Amino acid sequence: MALLRINNVSKHFGGLVANRDVSFDVDQDEVVGLIGPNGAGKTTLFNCIAGFYPVTSGTVVFDGQDITPLRDFQVARMGLARTFQIFQASGDLKVVENVMVGSFMRTGSRGSARRAALEVMEFLGIAETAGEMMTELPVAAQKRVALATALASDPKLLLLDEVGAGLNPSEIDGLIALLQRIHTERGVALLLTEHVLEMVMKLSHRVIVLESGQKIAEGEPAQVVKDPEVVRAYLGDHYVKRQKEGGDA
Amino acid sequence: MEELGIQILKSLVSGLLMGLVFALVALGLTVIFGVMDIVNFAHGEFLMVGMYTTLLISPLLGVDPVLTLPLAGLVGAVLGVLCYFGLIRFLLRGPMIAQLFGTFGLMIFLRNLALLFMGSEPRIVHQGWLVGKSIVIGPGVVLESTKLAVAVLSLLSFAVVWWLINRTKVGKALTATSLDAEGARYMGISTELMNALAWAVGGASVGVAGGLLVNFWPVDPGVGLLFTMIAFATVALGGFGSVRGALVAGILIGLIVNLPPVWDAILRSIDAVGLRGLDIHSFKYTMVYAIYFLIMVLRPQGLFGWKQ
Amino acid sequence: MEAVKNAFDFGDMPRNELGLAAVVLAFLLSFPLMPHSSFGMATMIQFLMFSLYGMGWNLIGGYGGQVDLGKAQYVGIGAYTTAVMMIRWDVPFWFSMPVGMALAVGWSFIIGYPLFRLKGHYFAIATIATSLVLKDLFEVWNFVGGARGLEIPLKGDFPNWLYLQFREDYYYYYVILGMFLIGFIYMNGFRHSRLGYQLRAIKDNEHVARSLGIDVHWSKIKAYAVATAYVAMVGSFHACYNFNIEPEDTMSLDLSVLIAMMAMLGGAGSMWGPIIGAAILVPMKNYLGSWLGGQAGFAGIDLALYGMIIMFIAAAQPRGVYGIVEAMRARRR
Repeated sequence: MALLRINNVSKHFGGLVANRDVSFDVDQDEVVGLIGPNGAGKTTLFNCIAGFYPVTSGTVVFDGQDITPLRDFQVARMGLARTFQIFQASGDLKVVENVMVGSFMRTGSRGSARRAALEVMEFLGIAETAGEMMTELPVAAQKRVALATALASDPKLLLLDEVGAGLNPSEIDGLIALLQRIHTERGVALLLTEHVLEMVMKLSHRVIVLESGQKIAEGEPAQVVKDPEVVRAYLGDHYVKRQKEGGDA
Repeated sequence: MEELGIQILKSLVSGLLMGLVFALVALGLTVIFGVMDIVNFAHGEFLMVGMYTTLLISPLLGVDPVLTLPLAGLVGAVLGVLCYFGLIRFLLRGPMIAQLFGTFGLMIFLRNLALLFMGSEPRIVHQGWLVGKSIVIGPGVVLESTKLAVAVLSLLSFAVVWWLINRTKVGKALTATSLDAEGARYMGISTELMNALAWAVGGASVGVAGGLLVNFWPVDPGVGLLFTMIAFATVALGGFGSVRGALVAGILIGLIVNLPPVWDAILRSIDAVGLRGLDIHSFKYTMVYAIYFLIMVLRPQGLFGWKQ
Repeated sequence: MEAVKNAFDFGDMPRNELGLAAVVLAFLLSFPLMPHSSFGMATMIQFLMFSLYGMGWNLIGGYGGQVDLGKAQYVGIGAYTTAVMMIRWDVPFWFSMPVGMALAVGWSFIIGYPLFRLKGHYFAIATIATSLVLKDLFEVWNFVGGARGLEIPLKGDFPNWLYLQFREDYYYYYVILGMFLIGFIYMNGFRHSRLGYQLRAIKDNEHVARSLGIDVHWSKIKAYAVATAYVAMVGSFHACYNFNIEPEDTMSLDLSVLIAMMAMLGGAGSMWGPIIGAAILVPMKNYLGSWLGGQAGFAGIDLALYGMIIMFIAAAQPRGVYGIVEAMRARRR
């Protein structure tokens, strides 16, 4: 039984079709990558899964329950957490307080929320920033706090929307290691979209390729890369170029 | 039954005329909001300034109150520009809270300045071309010439503002600023100038409204609040920032406020004595607030709004 | 148990703020013992009342980030409940106050449900509308005295704790000071509660808050109910303290805005904001009034000056007085 099952999901905005009949599964012990060129409908699909948008047709089943009609906060309570592509910290919360908001999803007690938050921060290696204000942190650290907050809600599945965006290569290596540990040590299934393709290729057990809102390929990273359809649609320019750059450095 | 028919006609006529006045009062508010997303709590006080201007200038110059309207408009425009450069410009840097706070301070300031110089007794224009004249258009249906003139000038003002916004270069720049201030700046449009212009146009239109209003509505330092609320309701109903919406919504609100006499006539005609105790005259403005609330909840963008 | 611990946990406040709080507390407790005028006493009582109003406002305006300009309707519900129950059925203050709070909270749920679908200006103006509708209703409702309002009859037997009727103002002072301290400590507990954290997350970013399982709409309604309880409680006190209430002084827009201004002036969203704001605005308004307001031929000059000062503060320091404190603290780092 798959943890997340997406059945023929379509999403229209007026006349614009953002997703068309997308179907795939994510298992509990899996890391799945969702890739595709800009405007392929990855973020829209995320928003549909997370209950942020209502789907036009199709169903989303999570943990054996049909979550299609649920609102975003109800989906979150089921154990489906997410991070946002654009993350802006503006508030007057300290880092640990920010993470506690995540753990408050599972407990009403401030003491246990705090303990859970500190444990997650320890795990992610950001415990020393606990007392600082969010706005004082660099972007990479802010992203880790956002990750910590999502993890603190103790999810079964984590949707990661472009977590690597804006990070430098060494930061990306660190993030890959971290996400692997989140998956293996905490048993959280991951579904990620990413522009930084090495990250998807290294992390994912399985890759799903979207183009113009439709699924055009699915399989192991190594296979998908060879799929002529995929190469034509997407990898043709970007991946090859990126590989070269990586080789030079 | 005949009485009911006449009453309905009377209410329709006076509601239409009053509605055009409300629309003119709201016009300035919606122009300012459309360009810069700011709600001016002192809007009714601008109206009061316009009313006092006509009231004082007319005997001073020895001309008819109607001829002082350009001056009332000018005073309103100057007041608007002064407020923009002296206060609003600074408020824009802060959160929305600061805007409410600052314009409320302006409201208290203007209201009490009027109290200081003008005293608290209500005043009205007693002599003039329009005062006391009326046109009878049917049995029991009388058009007061003041209100008729206000209605005509209100329509004229709407035409001018509509022309200014939709048919001139300056208007295009105003629209550009309201859609995307940042983008407009890159296009070489001075947002500062556009904002000041919005306050000038807004101030002028409400100043003229005041100059007209004082011909049949007494002015005192506290007159502003009721009109601020009516203007808010009008603008909300029509859609924040929509000029056409303000016109339609103003008329609707004018009609609503003139419903109670119709209600009375209905009660009389069906002889429902038991219901007479319910005096809905005291609720005519309450209905405006209640309708405002319902509109906000059911259709926050208003009838013609495009801003969310 | 943990709730009580949270309420008394001031560990996350800077040391110097706590020191200052101790000095202020000592001053508040001993104020009636020091030489003072009856004017000074009345100002202090008003200061405490407005601090509590402001704390209530701050819950939704400061922590929740939505500007409420309709708080006066809850002052009115609290005040009228106490007055009506006392006049008609001889109900003591200590029973009518919770009833007033409950009625106000009930009303807040009814209007809160649609209200919190709105944001920004739309919300602010809609709160004004609801408050004005209620005020207009009370002005024509004979049961509650219409526009003339209600007069609470003296019960005799002073000091009368049951009906909160005293000859000397310092009794009232200590009653409202007690409410102030309870209110402050409760607020500290609220800040540390799940809802307190969730509200601050909502203010930060509603999308992120929802993705963390927070029902944003319902959280705001709950916080609004707590805020309402504060305001209604002080409203009940207002009725007993003034002996005389009418729609104009308990439900007017001016009162609503004054409440909002206290908290905004002090700095919305901080524990001290409403208290600082009330400590500045209440004495300023009262002293300007007694200094200039009474002079013949100068009616209005006090409030005109007051309006100017408000404009100046809003223009010069949009984040409120507490914003200055925070800016200074940030610079020191």
